[in-house]
Amino acid sequence: MSTRITRRDVLLAGAGLAATSMLPRLAFAQDAGTFRVGTLCPITGAGSPYGSGMQKSIEAVVAEVNAAGGAGGRKLELFSEDGQTKPDAAVLAAKKLIEVNKVQAIFGTWSSGVTLAVMPLTDAAGIIEMNCSGAPVISTQDTKDLVWRFQATNDRFGQAFAVIAEKRGYKRPATMAFNNASGIGNAEGFTKAWTKKGGKVVASVVYEPNRASYRTELQQVLSQKPDVIVTGSYLPDSTIILREWYQTGQPVQWIMPGWAANPDLVKAVGNEVIEGLISVDSVSNENAASFKAYSAAYQKATGKPGSTNVYAAMTWDMVMCLALAMEAAGPGASVVQVNAKIRDIANPDGTKVYTFAEGRKLLGEKKKINYEGASSRLDFDQYGDVTPDFGVFVVEKGQLVRRDVISI
Amino acid sequence: MTAYLVAVGIVALIYMLLTIGLNLQYGYTGLINFGVVAFFAIGAYTSALLALHGWWLVPAFGVATVVAAIVAYPIGLLSLRLSDEYLAVVTLGFSEVVRIAIQQEEWLTKGVQGLPGIPRMFAFMGVGGDADVAILAVLVACNVAVIGLMLHLVRSPYGRLIQAIRDDEVAVEAMGKDPRRLKVQVFMLGAGLAGLAGAFYAHFITYLSPDQFLPLVTFYVWIAMIIGGTGRTTGAVAGSLLLLVFLEGSRFARDWVPGVSEVQMASVRLALVGLGLVLFTLYRPQGLMGSRR
Amino acid sequence: MTITPVDVVNLLINGSIDGLLIALPTLALTLVMGIARFPNAATGDYMTVSAYAGIGVQALGGASILLAGLGAVAAGAAISIVFYLWVFRALRGRAPVASLVASIGVAFFARSMLTLFVGHDQHTFSVPLVRAWNFGGIRVLPTDLYVAAVALLVMLLLFAMLHMTPIGRQMRALADNPDLARACGIRSGRVLLALWATVGALCALGGMMFGIKAVVSPELGWELLIPAFAAMIVGGIGSPIGAVAGAVLLGIASELSVPFVGPSYKIAVAFALLLLVLLLRPRGLFGKPIVAR
Repeated sequence: MSTRITRRDVLLAGAGLAATSMLPRLAFAQDAGTFRVGTLCPITGAGSPYGSGMQKSIEAVVAEVNAAGGAGGRKLELFSEDGQTKPDAAVLAAKKLIEVNKVQAIFGTWSSGVTLAVMPLTDAAGIIEMNCSGAPVISTQDTKDLVWRFQATNDRFGQAFAVIAEKRGYKRPATMAFNNASGIGNAEGFTKAWTKKGGKVVASVVYEPNRASYRTELQQVLSQKPDVIVTGSYLPDSTIILREWYQTGQPVQWIMPGWAANPDLVKAVGNEVIEGLISVDSVSNENAASFKAYSAAYQKATGKPGSTNVYAAMTWDMVMCLALAMEAAGPGASVVQVNAKIRDIANPDGTKVYTFAEGRKLLGEKKKINYEGASSRLDFDQYGDVTPDFGVFVVEKGQLVRRDVISI
Repeated sequence: MTAYLVAVGIVALIYMLLTIGLNLQYGYTGLINFGVVAFFAIGAYTSALLALHGWWLVPAFGVATVVAAIVAYPIGLLSLRLSDEYLAVVTLGFSEVVRIAIQQEEWLTKGVQGLPGIPRMFAFMGVGGDADVAILAVLVACNVAVIGLMLHLVRSPYGRLIQAIRDDEVAVEAMGKDPRRLKVQVFMLGAGLAGLAGAFYAHFITYLSPDQFLPLVTFYVWIAMIIGGTGRTTGAVAGSLLLLVFLEGSRFARDWVPGVSEVQMASVRLALVGLGLVLFTLYRPQGLMGSRR
Repeated sequence: MTITPVDVVNLLINGSIDGLLIALPTLALTLVMGIARFPNAATGDYMTVSAYAGIGVQALGGASILLAGLGAVAAGAAISIVFYLWVFRALRGRAPVASLVASIGVAFFARSMLTLFVGHDQHTFSVPLVRAWNFGGIRVLPTDLYVAAVALLVMLLLFAMLHMTPIGRQMRALADNPDLARACGIRSGRVLLALWATVGALCALGGMMFGIKAVVSPELGWELLIPAFAAMIVGGIGSPIGAVAGAVLLGIASELSVPFVGPSYKIAVAFALLLLVLLLRPRGLFGKPIVAR
């Protein structure tokens, strides 16, 4: 029954695999007519709930731009890899994208670790990097101004939470943070902002991922009788925590970040549990055409509404910004020249545009534009970070309804 | 393409150091170490922290290797008291405790925020390109030296003794030799190699965080050792190269299999690793380079 | 933080429930260790696949948890038998490490097939949410009682099978002394099929319970492997009572340690306890003395 696979067989197979993967491929041929974009979304790993949606969002915009004839006279060519939410895997993937596919931009890095590991490579190659990561240190590591962050930093989110809690009159906040850079960043951002105004945080707890139950952590927080609990959490743990909290019967207001408190969470815990929960997200105006366009494309590609994946809205905007910057820079522009135009097309002063077609038309008339994105207003500060407003969404009867907008 | 292959080569050679170390512990001496990643992590963080405090890389690497070996001493002592399955679980537990400690003790390691901006090797040569080739060369030299050491060790009386421990410990004692000291030494030596590999890793990726040191890394090293052929140093070499061909080759496989999305490819990659393990265990247990004993 | 007696009782309750959840996969592990004599790393992924099967049944067949449970058990038993017939049966004469490595391959393969066809999303069972009973600060969740009741019932059934049915007696005979068992005419083929079916069912129920209490995701089972292994060893390899006792003991110890070391070091405490048990009583709480090999 046992088949003898000889050593020679396996060595030949391995050599064959290695050799054929090195064959020059027509797809890698230098096509001067395209702008090559690499994507490094977290298809697997901790970011996997968002990664494939992020990727599909990029694919949709690229298709749209190309259908309109390209940007700045060039079509966009896409090369996709899985960042695996792991810095070491992402480094090799980035090297492949940069060295083999010769991409001129890398989009979609999600976890701060991946972005931090990939940034030195993109900077050295002189290409654009666009990410959704929250760690503040990314701003300072961005020495060449080639890195653009489409997600508010953890600090900013924490500040927003503090403003919201204060505005609604809460006096005894507690925090619960997922034990990773983003979760802790949010919670600490909140605590810093809250204590700066003289307040006190009555309890803070950091909890581990992948547990069946967070009863102990929850009890620790609830025992201090907070009136509001601010979390830096994700979907699975939020599901467990909310269900366990509901079953305790102790009334508390929850404030959660938008990537956790989304329609999937509503579905997972049910309307009764989540009623009244506050979800905070960076917004431009979800009635704006940019969000509508994104959400329609996202629904078509994944079957779910665009509001379930805030990061996919960001990756949508990434390609939009690139395309509009390419238009503004003109045909045959270098990467650096395109990069220099990004603030031009996205920051205030200029006619607000919401789609590629609109923007291109106005740029053709030599007018200044201000692209308002699906994910946020997209006003980049000196670090290349967005400084969004934050939407306060309250869950009412199973729907996320925007009740307020916070500027910080 | 060359620059990419150089990068893949660097990672393969880092895994090679890890695999050679594990092979010394398990392949030659029969010590079941499922905590390889712990020493990898200790070496990585030690070297990174020292370098971030201004140390030069060569001494930092040295200290990293030594610290990893020293931490292995108590675990080595434990291996004397515990039989195989127990040692496996205890070493696995130890690696998780190390990871949690790295995660929690943020005053030292910056915890979950991670350590960015770790100095690169050959930084004066820039990033990528020539610098990477230089790193590859150093790793090749390192591995060649370690392999030479291993091959020499195996043929020496010391080497025969540790293999005798694997085969029949009671007989070794009956001969009047004390296997305990040797087992601890071997444990420390293997751990030191893992620590050295960790230092190379830290200064190549330039960003460290605790979740890069999950037990999965240990499993990959075991996979490399088994596929290559347990108990043979050439096996460790072949196995680590094959592991990287598996892990990275799947990127290109997507070009041959159109219509497979990136999401699906990730599943396919894992399926191939799993299938490979099963098939190797069933049909080629001696691994690539081993011969049927 | 001051600890009140009410806090302690709550921690005890939490710990016991956590322990009972882990007890089911621990039982699966210990049965395989005792009878087939290797650590089965695929246990976790059997749980995951079965839990997804349960979700599937609930999505198709209406809200009945019982039906979902039956679906899960069927799936679990099936997948367990399939991999036994394909992989583990062929590896029976070989060293346990071979089967351990193969089981890692099986785990990866099963998980990747699952994600390939079903995706990476999380799912939840639709169970009615009921308020906790509050006895002066001591909180008891009805869902938890339900989970505990199911776990205990399953254990009782298992014990009944092992001690009161012919096939169960044959399993125990095979665990105690395989050669003697064969000499007495016990046909190991049949017994092993029954064993693996039982293992699959246990994993399925464990996966369901976990899914009901928490969420169902592709990494569900894999994450539970390490605590289950630790519990098995503490309780004594091969002893079903030990599996339950070990799991509950570790669960309680971890929870009670939280006020002192914080929630992140919980599993470190479990490992410390494991180490202590191994050093002081190597056979575990209920295990048999280690037979000289």
